Amino acid sequence: MVGPTASLTPLSRADGSASYQCPSTGSNILGSVNAPIELPGRRDALRPEDATVEVFVKPGTAPGGVGERYVEGIIKNMLTKLILGREKGYARRGVVITLAIVGGESVGRGDSYLTLLPALLHTALLALLSASVPLSMTFSATVLAVDASGKITREPSPKEAATATSLHVFAFSSNGHLLLSESQGPFEFKTWENVHQRALAICHGTLARSSDGDVAMAEDVDGQPLEGALREVVEDKIHLDYAWKIDAP
Amino acid sequence: MVSPLILLPGDEIPSEYLPSTNSAPLRLGAGLRLLSQPSSNPSTPPSHVISATQSALLSTDTKRNAVSLLSTPNRRYIPTPGDLVIAQIHHSSPDYFHCMVTPQAPQAMLGQLSFEGATKKTRPMLKQGDLVYARVLSIGLGAGAEVELTCVNPATGRAEPGGLGPLTGGMVFDVSTGLAARLIKASSSSAEQQDGVAGLVVLDELGKKLEKAGGFEIAVGRNGKVWVDCANGGDSAIKATVAIGRCLSTIDEHELSPTDQRKLVTRILREMKIES
Amino acid sequence: MNKEAPLSIAERDFILNALREDVRLDGREADQFRPLNVSFGEEYGHVKIQLGKTSLIVRISSEVTKPHDDRPFDGIFTIALELTAMGSPAWENGRQGDLESYVSNVLDRVIRHSNALDTESLCVLKGVSCWSIRADVHITDYDGNLIDAACIGIMAGLQHFRRPDAVVKDGQVIVYGVDERVPVALNITHKPLSITFHTFDEGKRVILDATRKEEQASEADVLIGLNNAGDVCYISKFSGFPVDAMVFVNKSSVALEKVKEINNIIDKALQADLTKRAKTALVEESRAANDR
Repeated sequence: MVGPTASLTPLSRADGSASYQCPSTGSNILGSVNAPIELPGRRDALRPEDATVEVFVKPGTAPGGVGERYVEGIIKNMLTKLILGREKGYARRGVVITLAIVGGESVGRGDSYLTLLPALLHTALLALLSASVPLSMTFSATVLAVDASGKITREPSPKEAATATSLHVFAFSSNGHLLLSESQGPFEFKTWENVHQRALAICHGTLARSSDGDVAMAEDVDGQPLEGALREVVEDKIHLDYAWKIDAP
Repeated sequence: MVSPLILLPGDEIPSEYLPSTNSAPLRLGAGLRLLSQPSSNPSTPPSHVISATQSALLSTDTKRNAVSLLSTPNRRYIPTPGDLVIAQIHHSSPDYFHCMVTPQAPQAMLGQLSFEGATKKTRPMLKQGDLVYARVLSIGLGAGAEVELTCVNPATGRAEPGGLGPLTGGMVFDVSTGLAARLIKASSSSAEQQDGVAGLVVLDELGKKLEKAGGFEIAVGRNGKVWVDCANGGDSAIKATVAIGRCLSTIDEHELSPTDQRKLVTRILREMKIES
Repeated sequence: MNKEAPLSIAERDFILNALREDVRLDGREADQFRPLNVSFGEEYGHVKIQLGKTSLIVRISSEVTKPHDDRPFDGIFTIALELTAMGSPAWENGRQGDLESYVSNVLDRVIRHSNALDTESLCVLKGVSCWSIRADVHITDYDGNLIDAACIGIMAGLQHFRRPDAVVKDGQVIVYGVDERVPVALNITHKPLSITFHTFDEGKRVILDATRKEEQASEADVLIGLNNAGDVCYISKFSGFPVDAMVFVNKSSVALEKVKEINNIIDKALQADLTKRAKTALVEESRAANDR
């Protein structure tokens, strides 16, 4: 399993940015965060003590539509819970997250965004970290497809996703709690338990995995847990930025 | 010396990284927060942990008994009391100048009389687009609070330290907030060091090389702005200013060692045809 | 908002005074472009343009659709540009500003109205089906000269793009997959690009490829769109101070030189990408042969 590749702060104008590429789904997302900024209009009236989070998803080769607005809602709901909008300088200000799909197959009009959702979430997280927006925790997410025979495919390609019976997206916080579960298609509760276990293993590795005989196998298939892969990207960038301090005698 | 520690949001600071030498209260910098963990046994008091809210390098100061975070250098500036900033006048009202500290952020207020020796008659007449070197006085409390700036030290009534007040002439360059913080650190410490302070030798090197050309004045704002003026530079004033700006933006984009910074200064001055 | 923060008086004055001494903030000559890098992605028609600190991504896509009723022999070509908060914190998501409509308009005129892409060749079956080609421009970093950079991106993308082959059999349109038949390049009639000049000091100083700060400090802009042969397809002085007519005459020769230079850079990047693709295709072929 080839892990994702990502980079922090590839852009110069936005306050924070990240690019993220997932080889198995073929998605390539560029994300930017501007925060804290003044939002025009009176969008802050409802919760004056808190920051307003705005998410904008820009499809790669088509005009935006309902599919984008729907996935924006999912991302916004999840991130609003993680962003500490009451920290200094953030009350009544906006956190504007822009995600552009710059590579990979486009989602057709009205089709589901579930296959792209983990990549979008990871890009948004990395861009938020790049902009130093205060967060209570980090997370990692994955998407699994279940086909008619019950076989689970991790991060399916668009073709695999089209033939799957059900699709499941999970996000886990850095301490292993389930943050998000979005499913699509018919499935049984037992199937959900299976994919949930597998997703937890993909995101957090063996420690969180149940101790049955399949453990060693699964580890080989899934490689490095996503949580660790994302952490490495951030640590490498901070190390580079502060090389003058860390490497100083 | 413990190895450098890089934190992500939600990470707890291990206790061995916290300064524990004296009994003074521990000072937490921005981006850190104290969380209490209720213990399982109700009779013992809850334990406390310090966790990060940003991805950053942990920096500890045992002398001041403080821990703080050095977060991403490209981040947007958030006003903090005591910071030096370069603000741009947007408009003026009877009591205040309304200033821009960061674009796309609410304006900050600078009192018409918050200048050294200013009275109703002698206050500076600043117009839209003028620049001031100011200190953040307060950021207010609660929602809708306004940031207030000042160009005098409230204790002494003088424009010191830092030479606060209107900036006339010269040029402003935009740098990252991380580089601005390093420049302030480097220019405020008097100790002459071979490798510079905060890994920067560029200002010292430019100072030496441009001495013959009349030297330059510089003011660094934490909001990522650097004002440079070569008023005594004569014919080469503009070229010298541009050279300083190019050196700063190159260092901002590429991490350069002290040796490479010296080479950069020499190369750019040669390109700009300035004798050193 | 949708507006960049205004420059300070110091910046405005300094940029002008420096230009009077023929000095630009990044050390460039008045008639010098910033370093230009054109690179292609894995998919056909995926281009990344880096012009100094301005960067953008263009994606070309195609689909079979019904032609417009009034032009049954023509295919459809659209340029979609949307400024998002990614390019500059001053731009607001989902709200069209003046700059966006202005840039879209100029791109339409330079590339679409000059018929750089031959839309007649996109017709599949008269009045029934045709190809619709769409160019999506994603501005990722804005530091001035959006129009020239976007033109370079779209033109490079159109030349790089390959659409699936389609034929008409017994009145039925059959579209072949990319793996079934070699995809087809688009029919490009000429390669127009735009070159934007900005004037200072009552029109006495003229520079090209201005950065964001130079654009803000300038008095007026002059835009010339032309192709390698020197045919002018667009010329405009959109706003600001009056400009001497001689500026247009003198600067069109500079513009022609730059257009040739940039088209050369695009050609080289295209060639390099084609060679790379041919090599990987060869490797895959031999691997497939080995497997057999």
